[in-house]
Amino acid sequence: MPTISFSLSDLNKLLGKRLDKDKLEKLLPCAKAELEDVEGDDISVSFNDTNCPYLWSVEGLARLFKGVLNVSTGLYSIKVSKSGFKVVVDRKLSKIRPFISCFIAKGKKVDDYLLKQIIQLQEKLADSFGRRRKKVSIGVYPSKKIEFPVSYKAVSPSLRFVPLGCHEELSLAEILKVHPKGKEFAHILESFSEYPVLMDSKKNVLSFAPVINSELTGKLDVGDDELFFDATGTDEDSVYLVANIFAAALADRGFKIESLVMEYPSKRIVSPTLAVRRLKVNSDFVNRVVGSDFGERELKGLLERMRYGYSKGVVVIPFYRGDIMHPVDIAEDAAISFGYDNFGALSLSSYTVGKPLPEVHFIDSSRLLWVGLGYQEVLSAILSNKDLLYDKLNVSDFGTVEIENVMSHTYSCVRSWLLPVLLDVLSKNRHVDYPQRVFEEGLVSVRKGDSVVDERHLSAVSAHASASFTEIKQAVGFVLAALGVDFVVEEFEMGCFVPGRAAKIVVGKKQVGFFGEVHPSVLENFGLLVPVVGCEINLSLVLEYKSKK
Amino acid sequence: MNIKKLAESLHPFERRVLPLISKYRFLSDLASASGLKEVEVMRALQWLQNKKAVEVFTEPEEFVDLDSNGRKYVKVGLPERRFLEVLKKGEEIPVSKLAEKSGLNKDEVNVCLGLLRQKGAILLLKKDSKFVVKITEKGLKLLSSEFPEEKFLKGVFPRDVASLSKDERSVFDLLKKRKKMLVVDVKRIKSAKLTSLGKKLVDLGVKDETIVDSLTPEILRSGDWKKKNFRRYDVTINVPKFFGGKLQSYRYFLDWVRSKFVALGFQEMNGPIVESDFWDMDALFMPQFHSARDIHDAYYVKRPKFADIPSSLIKKVKAAHESGANTGSIGWRYSFDVEQTKRCLLRTQGTACSARMIGSGKLEIPGKYFGITRSFRYDVIDATHLPDFYQTEGFVVEEGLSLRHLIGLLRMFAKEFADADEIRIVPGYFPFTEPSAELFAKHSKLGWVELGGAGIFRPEVVKPLLGKHVSIIAWGMGIDRIGMFKLGLTDIRQLFSHDLTFLREERLV
Repeated sequence: MPTISFSLSDLNKLLGKRLDKDKLEKLLPCAKAELEDVEGDDISVSFNDTNCPYLWSVEGLARLFKGVLNVSTGLYSIKVSKSGFKVVVDRKLSKIRPFISCFIAKGKKVDDYLLKQIIQLQEKLADSFGRRRKKVSIGVYPSKKIEFPVSYKAVSPSLRFVPLGCHEELSLAEILKVHPKGKEFAHILESFSEYPVLMDSKKNVLSFAPVINSELTGKLDVGDDELFFDATGTDEDSVYLVANIFAAALADRGFKIESLVMEYPSKRIVSPTLAVRRLKVNSDFVNRVVGSDFGERELKGLLERMRYGYSKGVVVIPFYRGDIMHPVDIAEDAAISFGYDNFGALSLSSYTVGKPLPEVHFIDSSRLLWVGLGYQEVLSAILSNKDLLYDKLNVSDFGTVEIENVMSHTYSCVRSWLLPVLLDVLSKNRHVDYPQRVFEEGLVSVRKGDSVVDERHLSAVSAHASASFTEIKQAVGFVLAALGVDFVVEEFEMGCFVPGRAAKIVVGKKQVGFFGEVHPSVLENFGLLVPVVGCEINLSLVLEYKSKK
Repeated sequence: MNIKKLAESLHPFERRVLPLISKYRFLSDLASASGLKEVEVMRALQWLQNKKAVEVFTEPEEFVDLDSNGRKYVKVGLPERRFLEVLKKGEEIPVSKLAEKSGLNKDEVNVCLGLLRQKGAILLLKKDSKFVVKITEKGLKLLSSEFPEEKFLKGVFPRDVASLSKDERSVFDLLKKRKKMLVVDVKRIKSAKLTSLGKKLVDLGVKDETIVDSLTPEILRSGDWKKKNFRRYDVTINVPKFFGGKLQSYRYFLDWVRSKFVALGFQEMNGPIVESDFWDMDALFMPQFHSARDIHDAYYVKRPKFADIPSSLIKKVKAAHESGANTGSIGWRYSFDVEQTKRCLLRTQGTACSARMIGSGKLEIPGKYFGITRSFRYDVIDATHLPDFYQTEGFVVEEGLSLRHLIGLLRMFAKEFADADEIRIVPGYFPFTEPSAELFAKHSKLGWVELGGAGIFRPEVVKPLLGKHVSIIAWGMGIDRIGMFKLGLTDIRQLFSHDLTFLREERLV
């Protein structure tokens, strides 16, 4: 979730209205935003909507609030004059980073606060919306240092310039190897033999996209009053949208925006595009989605407060919004404009039959029987690790779902059985009064080749000085009989049990579980100094057999 | 309590000890007189003290015992007697010969000289510049009977100093001064004294024979109990803690959640733990470049790498992503990766189960569905995050559902599951719903707390999976958090605790 910081007095200045902290907090939901932090005049706000980047600036927020508060409603637009300059786009970029959108902003001095706001918006747009600069990245430069026209071209990695904040020239290849930003973003360019740069007519490098600006022309300072902006990227709509959002933000600050021509090999685009889209939406549709009874006039009013244009079933979407895909998006904005709190709730009217999953009754019955035997139920993580599941139990891997991008070894696979988890519980409670009797019922996943089966298992262990094979056999016998399961017991060998003191539970010729006396070497692995007996039953298999019968 | 009831409530130990207290003060004496162990007497005394029938004291007491000389003299006789025996015939015996004749050592001889002169039992005379000793009449008389010191030393030791008679006390004082004769020790001694209530109880009679203590098969068989009263127990007394078998509290809460949903007409659905990108995200119209789809947010699986997904479904979902296809949308406008969509991962959201149900071909319309599912996220563990947690989610499908039904549904959930009257419903964002809303409830201690989110499934979700559009309200609740509220817990890790003491003592409801 993107988070931005700004000063409340700045917001109020942009808004032309005085909001205090409480009023702001009440207004934020219409931007799907929440107040994160307030410290005097400093506000920080986070946004739930990851697809609405124009809001990630105080200017964008003020623009929406102006509509909602009826300060200024209707379709938002800005005045743009032609700069007469152009940016020439190299054909060779079509496979590398084909799209670019630039503009010039003039007439306001950049102060310390504004510089921070510009950097903040640049970062939010490039990091969150621009997929960590892969899809879109942004450069801002003091325009007076640039000799137009600018060319955007693919060049050899051997080209040299002084990167921002450095004192000596480095080649593009060196930047990717040694410069911190170069190392951070090298992966974006790793499959290419030529790299994108912006260069002015004196062959001075403005920036190495999407990595870093140059020290010579790419350093924006307090006091600068003419800015050159570029967005480059791999997705055409997103590149233009980002430039539009930035142009609107600077225009709201009082900058005059000047356009440039983006001269592609096969087309010319005037940038910023400021392109609006039209979408057919009428009050019938909105009313159906929302449950409202808005008339056309009311709908028009609601949408204009969200800064749309509306006329006779057609919505005009402002140029800084790329998130509108479907008329339902417009319906939601109409509802937000009206206020969710202002709708009366409707109850559901259809009759439906409720039911749990078919296995639930059987599973819950088994749990209750173990409780009746004096066992404490536990609930554990499904994620586990192979040391616990196999090594500590003297058992070899019988099919495990393993995680590829492991974060911690403890949680590096999905559990395939439950007995190890319960022994782990015992080992964590060595200081607690005995007897200790615990059980768990839950999901395990067993992998067979490339298929995975989720099974419901139940395991129980009993630990105390006189725990015996008889005890666990009695318990298993009692539970299965009460569940109406006919079973036989057969000899069984498994690394975790004492040889000759383990048995398998067979139902209809199929093994559905086992029980026995835990081997002292396993107890040693868990640091246990008390005899333990335990069982594990595959309830899914038992239930399958029962329902066949 | 009246005295009769009190008498009936006495434990057999109390019955045996109580009448003895008027005769014996000390714990050890009471033990030997009653035939009980000291610990049993002590328990009886404590219970009696709780009943205000006795007072129990712990006092420092002096005890006197024989020291090495004292023990020796009990065997061989006191030195002064042996000294006088030598003089018995009335001879004058030089001091220098006394040791040899009496078998005493020099020290003893000196002690005897001083002591017996003081008593006037001997005379010390100077003859021919030598000292000689002679017995007196008084001395002869003394010798003929038992010395008070001898009588004292013959007693039973150790003795309580406080219990000595006046005469004994003066002998004790004398002997105490002599070398290694007696040793005095201070012990902390428990003693008991009857209170007036105790005396009344004794007078009333607390004989064992009139009372049934533990009911035994023998007593039942003989019918003895018919002639007796039952001992009354002190039912307020603390007993050792006992832990029976118990369901795990959070799991039990989830059982309750399930039964609640069933009662509200919802049917349960589920899905596999190992999901594919397709069902977990793509079918839910989350673009493949969405930030929640990073390797830093989901656990991808080593094997199987790819899942089997019907290619006809992939085609429809791909078209919705790329261009909106026939849904009325312009889509996300990017090139959909048909290999990536099959990639296996651990389910990151229970909503995957909803997608499967809608695409199953078995969807009932109208219908209500819910799931209580484990989901997995690449998260660092702390008091509010686990990589492995529960979600509840589901949907309501019916022609003509709107945002106002959604608001009604959320209000009902807040009331039914969190007992919350004061709630707030605000706009929300989920890639798969539009309009979307978030539900907050006022918690008495924590203020406004997010309970869950909801929305109307986007046409881009419904149409590719179902083949037609119908309004579906989807919702999800952070059930872990609601469970924590209900159980009074503050740390999410407690929901999955392995601490047996905590599990045994935790409340179930």
